[in-house]
Amino acid sequence: MKKEDTVKLISAEGFEFVVHKDAAMVSQTIRNMLTSPGGFAETEHGEVTFPEISTTILEKICKYFYWNLQFASGKQTEFHIEPELTLELMMAANYLHT
Amino acid sequence: MARDSGYGIFVTTKTELEVIEWDQGWDYMQKGFTKLKRILEGLSESQFTSEENMMLYTTIYNMCTQKPPYDYSWQLYDKYREVLDEYITSAVLPSLRNKHDEFLLLEFVKRWETHKVMVRWLSFFFNYLDRFFVCRRSLPKLREVGLTRFRDLVYRAVKANVRAAVIAIINQEREGEQIDIALLKNVVNIFVEMGMGQTDAYEEDFEAHMLQATSEYYSRRASSWILEDSCPEYISKAEECLRRERDRVSHYLHSSSEQKLIEKVQFELLVVYSGPLLEKDISGCRALLRDDQVEDLSRMYRLYNKIPRGLEPIARLFREHVIAEGITLVQQTENAANDHSSNGSGMREQIYVKEIAELHDKFMAYVSDCFMNHSLLRRAIKEAFEFICNKTVAGSSCAELLVALCDNILKTGGREKSSDEAVEETLEKVVKLLPYISDKNLFAEFYRKKLARRLLFNQSSNEDLEKSTLGKLKQQCGGQFTSKMEGMVTDLTLARENRTGFEEYLHSNPNVNPGMDLTVTVLTTGFWPSYKSFDLNLPAELVKCVEVFKGFYETKTKNRKLTWIYSLGTCNIIGKFEAKVIELVASTYQAALLLLFNCADRWSYSEIFTQLNLNHDDLVRILHSLSCAKYKILVKEPNTNTILPNDTFEFNSKFTHKMRRIKIPLPPVDETKEVIEDVDKDKRYAIDAAVVRIMKSRKALRHHELVVGCVEQLEHMFKPDIRAIKKRIEDLIARDYLERDKENLKMIRYLA
Repeated sequence: MKKEDTVKLISAEGFEFVVHKDAAMVSQTIRNMLTSPGGFAETEHGEVTFPEISTTILEKICKYFYWNLQFASGKQTEFHIEPELTLELMMAANYLHT
Repeated sequence: MARDSGYGIFVTTKTELEVIEWDQGWDYMQKGFTKLKRILEGLSESQFTSEENMMLYTTIYNMCTQKPPYDYSWQLYDKYREVLDEYITSAVLPSLRNKHDEFLLLEFVKRWETHKVMVRWLSFFFNYLDRFFVCRRSLPKLREVGLTRFRDLVYRAVKANVRAAVIAIINQEREGEQIDIALLKNVVNIFVEMGMGQTDAYEEDFEAHMLQATSEYYSRRASSWILEDSCPEYISKAEECLRRERDRVSHYLHSSSEQKLIEKVQFELLVVYSGPLLEKDISGCRALLRDDQVEDLSRMYRLYNKIPRGLEPIARLFREHVIAEGITLVQQTENAANDHSSNGSGMREQIYVKEIAELHDKFMAYVSDCFMNHSLLRRAIKEAFEFICNKTVAGSSCAELLVALCDNILKTGGREKSSDEAVEETLEKVVKLLPYISDKNLFAEFYRKKLARRLLFNQSSNEDLEKSTLGKLKQQCGGQFTSKMEGMVTDLTLARENRTGFEEYLHSNPNVNPGMDLTVTVLTTGFWPSYKSFDLNLPAELVKCVEVFKGFYETKTKNRKLTWIYSLGTCNIIGKFEAKVIELVASTYQAALLLLFNCADRWSYSEIFTQLNLNHDDLVRILHSLSCAKYKILVKEPNTNTILPNDTFEFNSKFTHKMRRIKIPLPPVDETKEVIEDVDKDKRYAIDAAVVRIMKSRKALRHHELVVGCVEQLEHMFKPDIRAIKKRIEDLIARDYLERDKENLKMIRYLA
């Protein structure tokens, strides 16, 4: 993947997840940050920090992004969510407007 | 989503997170805002880091998602607005306050852009509000709030000044100065954006004033230009201004203004001054037409075409000009005719027709080149030429002149001798003028008469040309117009065949030979003009000829009646004079008269009259031609130049001439009066037919409507006189074709 097509999502613990831009844009919040001109540092550096989201959740979220893209393009598979993660996942989703 | 229960678990599972108190949270936000402001003012160094961004967002997010009484959504919403307001009042407004003109505009645009950026940042931070709080309470969204704050606080305050500055700059550009187009475009865009989807802000606050200023500007300019400039100069300037205004709209004004702007400019420049402009003496419309200024005329047309009813004065002036030119020609011809009354009078009139045709071509060229064949101007030229062509020139109507010209071209020995193409051209021109003559019937009758003359006396120089001319007439006026004439031409072809048949007949029946060469041309009555024929008392020799031919004709057809037209015949007589034998070519009347002198040497007028059975007018003419004109075949006593009933005539045996064969001319009768009478008669029949036709289909009609309907039906043939129509209606009532309704005297009924 080219550098321009990716964004880095950094979790609270400092883990960095490099994902495709299209995938990240599934989140409205991230999309706003990346697309609207206004001098957000994010647009320049291509990385977003999430001090409140833990690594496991962020990882799951990244998986969700890709699954979402797949689903939209036709592949109707299932997305399995472990029950312990459910709540935090929901809250993160709300936070990220996904 | 069950937030509450989620929150409950939130509290239990994430014990570390405290509730953010208002002051604490807001304090944190405030720091962020200050930093933002510094960045916007260009004072700060660094951008927000990704962390800072997310923290600001998160803080607000948390403050909104906390359980009440820590749910600070309302306050945050209000605070959002407060932040904006505070920034505006503290930083934006002061910066705009004391600036003017271009500087004001620059600052204005800059502030607007900055504001937009700020709104964007803040919207991102406060984004969570937008998602739920705003929707739940049906409040305006954050972005909208941002715009309205700017509009209410900044825009409302400065719009008057901004507008004045813009208009001043526009006027500068009109004067030819260079201006910052991008700047104006941005400013105009702000006006548009202030409308928030509708154009009323733009229209009321800016456009209306701009249009007003435009009108004033152009009104001033126009009033000075109209005095200084000539018509073409003024119009060029007007065209240039319109073009520049259009450019202006595309460069920086809103496209919706284009129509209104152009209308204003057009109004001020062209409509207000159209009268004085077009009527300018030296350079106005008339002068342009006179001087053949094609480009200027085209420009004038182009500009005035866009204005509703703008072309009317131009059409009017054009028509007047054409009529004036036509009348000049008429005058010239009349003067020439009066000066040299008998000398070549025909020539001047022929030239007149040609000149009229040329005039027509010239002005039609204008209509098609300069005026794009616009219907208003086509109508003007049509009316003008109708007026011109129906004027009598030197005693003859235009129809007569046209026919005379054609005759001259088509007959042998006519005065028009030119190349084939020139001839065709002239004929084309004549045919083109035909539609303008209101009495086409008159033309038809004259033409028919002349055509008959040409055909019968073999004077037609070129049969193909005759046929092609007829073709042209047919194209122009329809088949009915030319049907009779075509019949005439075919008659002659048939007559030729007939002659060969007659010769064979004589050959095979030598006993019926009349003893002299006889050629008979049989004409179909309907096609040819009506000729008067008198029952001339034929000399015996000629009687035999008539009988022989009758015999022949009966072998061909049984059901036709032959009427002999002696007035058109010619005769070759051998005159045995003392000096020598001379062959005389004369008309049948003349021949009959001369043959009388075979029986007696001397005849008196009254004796001749009884013998020949002609009427006095004709007899006088014939005697005159034989005794008082060029060749004195008869001697008249007394030797005066007028024929009186007491005169006697004697064969002039002493007559001689150097030629062996002479033609005795017979002065032609002026047929004009006759033709006009004939046409009138035809008209009456046509009116009758039209009236009956209308009444038959409508059964009952009001008098006035009947007249109108009649005029409509007959329009393409001739212009009927209203009085004539009324007379014919009365006549038809008297003849029991129609009746007046008893109750309503205005109603006419049809009687079957």
